[in-house]
Amino acid sequence: MSEVSDLDGIHQGGVSVGTGLPPLTVRFTRADLVRYAGASTDFNPIHYSERFAARVGLPGVVAHGMLTMACALRVVTDWVGDPSRVRSYFVRFTKPVVVPDDDRGAEVVFSATVTAVEGSVATIAIEAICDGQKVLGAARCEVDLDGGASS
Amino acid sequence: MAISAEHVGRSYPPTAPYVVSVAKIAEFARAIGDDNPAYRGDQPIAPPTFVAVISSAAWEAMFDDQELGLALRRIVHGDQRFSYERPLRAGDRVTATLTIDKVRVRDTADIIGSSVRVETVEGELVCTAAATFFHSHQESADE
Repeated sequence: MSEVSDLDGIHQGGVSVGTGLPPLTVRFTRADLVRYAGASTDFNPIHYSERFAARVGLPGVVAHGMLTMACALRVVTDWVGDPSRVRSYFVRFTKPVVVPDDDRGAEVVFSATVTAVEGSVATIAIEAICDGQKVLGAARCEVDLDGGASS
Repeated sequence: MAISAEHVGRSYPPTAPYVVSVAKIAEFARAIGDDNPAYRGDQPIAPPTFVAVISSAAWEAMFDDQELGLALRRIVHGDQRFSYERPLRAGDRVTATLTIDKVRVRDTADIIGSSVRVETVEGELVCTAAATFFHSHQESADE
């Protein structure tokens, strides 16, 4: 079963340039990195070994860039409901998210704004902030507001 | 050998077919903390960035290509783009084929643009995953 969300609300509310999406705050702990390593099969030791991270010049164990990228897109898919509406997605990995070995981990705040609407396709710029600094650059996503690609 | 503009256009054989499963979609969705109902049930679609699981398998052919002289520990993933024809679904059998699109050799690093076509074994294009890598010439300071 694939539940398709009702976008009437979005249309009635009017999607236009400047429309802000509800933000999302995500906390990454070391356990999250281990879980993502297994799920994604990306076992680069910079995502779990302090010793290895230091050896390649990193300030500490860092989150997978692809994990940050995945979470950033949740701002958009939570909003449109149906993830098959995503047509394209781009991010630049500008700064690593350092994840300390404690229970708090690292907090990343994701926010997004509609920057263009052409026909039924909206372009959405996404920001990801950790410790006051942008960790993704030029992140943007195109979504088809009228239909998913799954049908 | 070292990577150069001469390698632009080089492609590698497709990866072995990967079967997208309900269980792996659920595992991936949990790992990114996403409880979207589209990723659950008997016929789920995969989260959009799930494509990375398949496309990154195709990077290895390039990283392991002796003629390019790349060292994995000196490679940084600079950017990533996904262009979707449709979402991946449980039951899809897909391969990933990498092509080197762009090479810029600079003083301190090579900049490598690559694209991976993710297609079903029946030949349907599902997604193109393009990545830029920075391959630094210098080892970072060892302790």
